[in-house]
Amino acid sequence: MELVVRKSDLLKELALLQGIVERKTTIPILANVLLEADGDAVSLLATDLDVGLRSRCAATVVRSGTLTLPAKKLFEIVNALPDTEIRITEDKGGKAVTVAADRFESRMQTLPAGEFPTPPEADGLAFTSLPGSELKRMITHTRFAITSEDTRYFLNGAQLVLQPDAMSMVATDGHRLALVRVPAELGAERTDVLLPRKTLNEVARLIEDGSPIEFAQGENHLFFRSGDRLLISRKIDANFPAYERVIPKANDKRIDFDRTRLAAAVRRVRLLSNERSKAVKFVMGTDQVEITSSSPELGEAHEVIPVDYDAAAMQICFNADYVDNFLGVVDTDQVQLEFKDEVSQAVMRPIGAEGYEYTYVIMPMRV
Amino acid sequence: MTGSEAGRETAQAGRLRRIIHVDMDAFYASVEQRDRPELRGRPVAVGGSPASRGVVAAASYEARKYGVRSAMPMARALRLCPDLVVVRADFTKYRSVSREVFEIFRSVTPLVEPLSLDEAYLDVTENAWGELLAVRVARRIKQEIRERCGLTASAGVAPNKFLAKIASGWKKPDGLTVVAPDRVESFLHRLPVEALWGVGPVTARRLRERGITRLIDVRTADPAVLRDAIGGQTDWLLRLAHGQDDRPVLPNRPARSSSAERTFAADIHDPDRMREELAGLARENVDWLRKKGLLARTVTIKVRYPDFTTVTRSHTAAPTDEAGAIVARAVALLERTDAGRRGVRLLGAGVRGFMSRDALSEGGWLPFDDGPATG
Repeated sequence: MELVVRKSDLLKELALLQGIVERKTTIPILANVLLEADGDAVSLLATDLDVGLRSRCAATVVRSGTLTLPAKKLFEIVNALPDTEIRITEDKGGKAVTVAADRFESRMQTLPAGEFPTPPEADGLAFTSLPGSELKRMITHTRFAITSEDTRYFLNGAQLVLQPDAMSMVATDGHRLALVRVPAELGAERTDVLLPRKTLNEVARLIEDGSPIEFAQGENHLFFRSGDRLLISRKIDANFPAYERVIPKANDKRIDFDRTRLAAAVRRVRLLSNERSKAVKFVMGTDQVEITSSSPELGEAHEVIPVDYDAAAMQICFNADYVDNFLGVVDTDQVQLEFKDEVSQAVMRPIGAEGYEYTYVIMPMRV
Repeated sequence: MTGSEAGRETAQAGRLRRIIHVDMDAFYASVEQRDRPELRGRPVAVGGSPASRGVVAAASYEARKYGVRSAMPMARALRLCPDLVVVRADFTKYRSVSREVFEIFRSVTPLVEPLSLDEAYLDVTENAWGELLAVRVARRIKQEIRERCGLTASAGVAPNKFLAKIASGWKKPDGLTVVAPDRVESFLHRLPVEALWGVGPVTARRLRERGITRLIDVRTADPAVLRDAIGGQTDWLLRLAHGQDDRPVLPNRPARSSSAERTFAADIHDPDRMREELAGLARENVDWLRKKGLLARTVTIKVRYPDFTTVTRSHTAAPTDEAGAIVARAVALLERTDAGRRGVRLLGAGVRGFMSRDALSEGGWLPFDDGPATG
């Protein structure tokens, strides 16, 4: 195989493929990227067996063929080269590959392309077009709530729900739940799929300037397509819990906060919270909320935020991380907190969010 | 990636661990001295007889003063210490004492990694006693071992296994050495190269010949010289020389599920009796969960019909160890089988999907009560 490709074209694709290649893989070939030169383009493929990405870029193919190169090293080399034409040539005997540009020349060991696992193609599948920036927002607003506990595999991803007139994404770790719903004329049949964390991150990276992304599912795989790029993700065989039932309907008390003010107060007060529980207490009184923390080792802190409130005095304790996560992704000026009592689920929402509904349910801590 | 998530992941990666290495003091010899008062205060060696070319399995501290060490031929030990009392090893007894000691460890945390009968690592970053300071956990463990087993142990407390192990050997017997995160660097400065993991006397000599005598000298040594002396372990030992060791504490055989089942002498046809039997089996699992300090997410049942066909059903919800909830869920699962319409020859109930009860302090659980049921 021999080809010539522009540095900027190749670098862009290699950068995307870096997210797929696992740093610590026990299967050597998975540290490599597969290059396939044919016609007037080179196709690239990386996979960790669960998630794979195919892409391609224009190239002058001198001799068509297939080879593999270490993904990370190739990226580093291409990244370090001047913006010029890069020549990739397979040595006679197929044991090594030369990557050269300008006066630079490198030779790297290759692994047999025949050993490279190839994920399925999406031929013949019906794709649904999903609005890109909305999908990206759904991902950034939910993925922090995915559990990091491996044993709870059914929560090890976010659930994507497609409906004829809307799409939603929901994630939970059992303590809090993040749900984003976006009205969209998809014309899709109701579809529920669980997207692993890595897939979510790669889908978000695939979305460029809010351009749409196409989705399809095969028997065992999910496909996301954007131009010449195709992300292939193995389906998780698990049921996401029935999340609607944990979204409270009877929260009769509500407090509106200035978002940056609340975020800053929580960030300050949590500095003296118990380092394991990370608990911050919201003490609701007439027209004020006092946010407090205490830790037997460190001491205590509190800060008062004036608000409109005239319902019963109450104290609710939250994990500061959970509150932080929500306030960190929301971009409206105001947010609201709805609650019923000390022990029932509270809900946080942005006020005046345009084009999406964001519901964030937090289970209070019992102290 | 959003800013908040990046922050969260960094915080997790950099999460400070609290590791304790516990080493029983002269374990076999101490057990013998405990059980035979006439041996107390005397030099004791547990092991094979000198006549049959036995070796020392353990030496009491009195014997160590004479230079008697483990793995030394008993005949040589007797030459060093003519008054040495040689006691035949009784491993059945030591194993049973060891079980008691490990029970104490496991009452603190499920993350207990045994190295031998008398030595273990414990990750007490989260612990059942709710102690924030690992040194307090270590003190309590030592106290419990003294009160319940009549033995002493030495403990090392540090942010990782490598440092914890060195720390436990720092002061013996009955020692407690703490290497706080901000003291790691000064602690490392006091260590000779022999402290390095896996560096035996031969490698240590080779390093010393190359002018590397202190552990921290490894950091500045020429990599080529290091590779020459210690080969493929260079990178690993370099990390240790910086006090870095991210190996997790690996508990052996972590339980993934528990179950109880019963085959009946005669097939049961009465649905009430089936429910009663199943409830009893489910309660056995509850007892087990309580003993282990675990909560289970999933309740399973197993039904074998008279023709030996067997079905299982399961139900997953928020983690619990409550008898009422677990029994009710097991019995409810029975409705999803043909039991009642058909007789049964065997019933079983089990639990899986564990988390430690301690993890509950993370905060309350959303009420996914009728969560996804599979099976």
